[in-house]
Amino acid sequence: MRVYVVDNGGQWTHREWRVLRDLDAETKIVPNDTPTSQLKELDGLVLSGGAPSVGLNPELMGKNGEYLDALDIPILGICAGHQFMAKHFGGDAAPAKIPEFGKSVVTVHEPDVLFKGLPKSFEVWESHNDEVSVLPKRFVTLASSPNCSVQAMRSLDRPLFGLQFHPEVEDTQHGYDIFRNFLKVCETNRTR
Amino acid sequence: MFDPQAFIDEQVGAIKAGVEGKAIIAASGGVDSATAAALASRALGSRLLAVYVDTGLMRKGETADVDATLKELRVNHKILHAADEFFRALKGVMDPEKKRTIIGNKFIELFEREASAFGAEYLVQGTIAPDWIESGGQLRDRIKTHHNVGGLPEQMKLKLVEPLRDLYKDEVRKVARVLGIRVAERQPFPGPALAVRVLGEVTPERVALAREASAIVEEELEAAAKKGLMPLPWQYFAVLLPVQSVGVHGDQRVYGHTIAVRAIDSVDGMSGKYSKVPDEVLDRISVRITNEVKGINRVVYDVSNKPPATIEWE
Repeated sequence: MRVYVVDNGGQWTHREWRVLRDLDAETKIVPNDTPTSQLKELDGLVLSGGAPSVGLNPELMGKNGEYLDALDIPILGICAGHQFMAKHFGGDAAPAKIPEFGKSVVTVHEPDVLFKGLPKSFEVWESHNDEVSVLPKRFVTLASSPNCSVQAMRSLDRPLFGLQFHPEVEDTQHGYDIFRNFLKVCETNRTR
Repeated sequence: MFDPQAFIDEQVGAIKAGVEGKAIIAASGGVDSATAAALASRALGSRLLAVYVDTGLMRKGETADVDATLKELRVNHKILHAADEFFRALKGVMDPEKKRTIIGNKFIELFEREASAFGAEYLVQGTIAPDWIESGGQLRDRIKTHHNVGGLPEQMKLKLVEPLRDLYKDEVRKVARVLGIRVAERQPFPGPALAVRVLGEVTPERVALAREASAIVEEELEAAAKKGLMPLPWQYFAVLLPVQSVGVHGDQRVYGHTIAVRAIDSVDGMSGKYSKVPDEVLDRISVRITNEVKGINRVVYDVSNKPPATIEWE
């Protein structure tokens, strides 16, 4: 399974790479201005988090938009990648009323392939100032935390997922399971 | 999955192929640099010289311990005593990033001097993933300058070799165990050493307070873990705060210094939870520090996770 990580400058980008590698995916970190043509042969893509604020510095998010439009593969946006995905498809992201740093708990409302086999509530690690404020059309919220309503979302039309929390971090419970589930989506999509 | 044996073979091969002539390695005695030294030593033999710098900022007994580690590894090595130079460079400096940069620059200055004396063109470092991630660059924000990344001059004479660049500490430990390195399980210790555990100005006197208090924290937490009272934390130490407060010693008012005890559980240092140290253990640490370290009259425990805090205070 070939799943690359688009680097938007996050502290945990390399962790995403590591988890994918630990799960035996063929993976690589690529800059976010990598031409889309170089990503055509992938089975999946992760859009990392980053220091840039999606709303304030959209230019620092490089070609993330092009990837979302042109690549017909499963894409997982994390933190800034998730917020960008919401904004790109007509939703919005804005500074969070209560930003979350470190420990939080998410509750899954909508059963989804991404959370398959996981408990309804579990502990996650956060690190964000902004959040998804308006869900794009044809997306559903999958999970929330007490201070952030869109902790997870997905598109109803394509295998596009967004997570506000960080499944790649050791302290997040079931993080590896979430990546395993994402890889399963990639596999199913490939043999589709 | 990560395969330590395959990694060793690959890296020894890469160093053999990539390094012509001699190299020096910056050795701190910790697991990262000891592992990098063992890999480089396998590849280069006597063409490698390990250089350890006693900055005057080290923990109790550290220099003797590092000497023993390097002897055990049978790596050709040299110890530099440079405490005066470091304290002189740090005089009057309060800003944590300035401290880190000054120390990083000083290290490189010393390594370049030693490399030129040994006739080496290469510098091997035990840099691991969190070092370059947190040092920032391009899109990535700088959280803190790691000495082995941010201290490097733009135009460096030495060519860098960093075999552990893509690993985290837990993976380095796996490699170290395969190599039979004794310090495989040693807790991480920052390159700028006690300078980033003395908040405010770094003087020999203030470093001595942090050193004595840290030795007590280490002793007590290791004893508690041995007794099965708690798991051994990922990292545990004392921080001297730039805060004084009032106390009473022998019916007399004192105005003393404060020590913060930090203990944190983590797998890779990139995130972590503060350790749930049993009360009786904290109590012993507090009593010992305030009685045995002259000048300290208050001890506090740090209950912050990473994020929002970092593991070290600076």
